[in-house]
Amino acid sequence: MIKLKNISKYYQSNSLILNNINLTINKGEFVYLVGPSGAGKSTILNLLLKIEEPTSGELFIDGVSLLRLKDSKIPYLRRNIGVIFQDFKLLPKRTVFENIAFALRFYNYSRSRIRRQVYQVLDLVGLTTKLDCYPTELSGGEQQRICIARAIVNNPQILLADEPTGSLDPETSWEIMTLLSKINMRDTTVIVATHNRGIVDDIRKRVISINKGAIARDEEQGSYNS
Amino acid sequence: MNSLFFYISEAVIGMKRSIVMMLISVITITISLFIFGVFLLISLNLNNIANSINSNLEIKVFLKETVTKTERSKFKQAILKLDHVKKVNYTSKNIAWKKFVKEYPHLNLDNLFENSPLPNSFTIGLDNNQYILNVVSNLKTFKSWVEKVSYGGIIAERMQKFSYYIKILGLILVIILTIATLFIVVNTIRLTIINRQNEINIMQLVGATNNFIKGPFIIEGILIGILGSLGAVIFLKIAYTFLIIKCNKILPYIPIVQNKLEINIILVSVILLGIILGILGALLSLSKALKRYSFNKVK
Ligand SMILES: Nc1ncnc2c1ncn2[C@@H]1O[C@H](COP(=O)(O)OP(=O)(O)OP(=O)(O)O)[C@@H](O)[C@H]1O
Ligand SMILES: [Mg+2]
Repeated sequence: MIKLKNISKYYQSNSLILNNINLTINKGEFVYLVGPSGAGKSTILNLLLKIEEPTSGELFIDGVSLLRLKDSKIPYLRRNIGVIFQDFKLLPKRTVFENIAFALRFYNYSRSRIRRQVYQVLDLVGLTTKLDCYPTELSGGEQQRICIARAIVNNPQILLADEPTGSLDPETSWEIMTLLSKINMRDTTVIVATHNRGIVDDIRKRVISINKGAIARDEEQGSYNS
Repeated sequence: MNSLFFYISEAVIGMKRSIVMMLISVITITISLFIFGVFLLISLNLNNIANSINSNLEIKVFLKETVTKTERSKFKQAILKLDHVKKVNYTSKNIAWKKFVKEYPHLNLDNLFENSPLPNSFTIGLDNNQYILNVVSNLKTFKSWVEKVSYGGIIAERMQKFSYYIKILGLILVIILTIATLFIVVNTIRLTIINRQNEINIMQLVGATNNFIKGPFIIEGILIGILGSLGAVIFLKIAYTFLIIKCNKILPYIPIVQNKLEINIILVSVILLGIILGILGALLSLSKALKRYSFNKVK
């Protein structure tokens, strides 16, 4: 369970980025974060990853306060949160297999277990044939699916996606979103920050609309606009 | 074990990617450690020479012209009673002169004097040369019999002082070289870190601990240190073997240290210093890189 209590964030320029956000997201939920550019969607994701700290307020994941979490414990927090980036962040000099296995390296798993787990997620995203390709040999949608595979290969409880369809054509965007729904069915909490009106309106889920750093609307089965 | 294998393979990849800097680092370490080793070997040998002079030291007591035969044997007994005196040999002035003439044949001294110009003397050997100064000052108290007391200690003393200064000079040089070497190693490893900034970012995002991220770079430092110091050891061995051969030919009376153990201790300490330099370089560049480094934020 994710809980934000009176979260505010501003930089030294006193421009308020987030203004007193209160939000609870339950385990297994699928949530869209929508809102105009600069609204503060990515900032919320950064707070959950403890890449940034709120200026005031409290923030919990599964009852653990992120503010009180020591720096040395941050890696363990992140192992429980998969992240999908708009720009993929795949390593160009490593194969698809190596890119995905990257997220398993520090678990001390056996080679065969790593192979098995990578193969399983590649099967889920439908790219088992691309195991030995380099990212540059893949299309944008395929790269995004590899990125998703890397994010979920260690079965995180939470999956964050920031503009996962930002650079993809409508058809591929659909594929990606269906995939995210599928992952959500496995009881993974999924939070997607997006501008993709069509998808939000077609795949109905909880919609949290952010505007000027505040929650403007929070609707089950919501649409992009009210 | 898994992660050690990973660290090593990652370190090798990193070194291949910045091969030129890597080679510069290795060569710098080789040069610095070679100089370090040369100073260690020099001071080892100077000490050895001083010791060998010391162990051959004898005290010579020159007797006054007026000392009679009975006084002489009395004095000999008195000397034998002194602490640490092992043996006392009497050399008459005539024998001393014959020896002197023999040792310097080119001076043609044969018929120059009717009587020996040298005094009678005692040659005294000690059981332990550490106490040579005590014995000398004791001998000097027999004022009515003693003309002069001499011993070769001054040369040994100077030798030891010289070797001390060489050590200080070496130490200063080694400190300067160490700093310069560290600087180059730090920059080499930093280059690999910059090369891999992307990978470090992603590793941190997928939950790698800082220690895990540091692993390959520390191994890289160790590898650079080992390669550099092995180079230094090889050159030191070659140079020292060459020196031993030359020295035995040209200056055979100088006792060059050939004891394998003592030389190996120096070589091992050269390798250890190389490894320490590598690790230190890695840690320094990492502390800077990981501090300076801030996340690729989610945008
Ligand atoms: N380091 C920073 N210093 C100052 N302002 C910042 C900083 N980082 C982000 N901001 C500001 O915070 C606001 C919210 O940014 P955020 O990235 O959360 O917006 P967003 O909702 O994700 O927008 P987009 O839809 O365009 O991605 C923006 O106005 C941005 O300029
Ligand atoms: Mg954003």
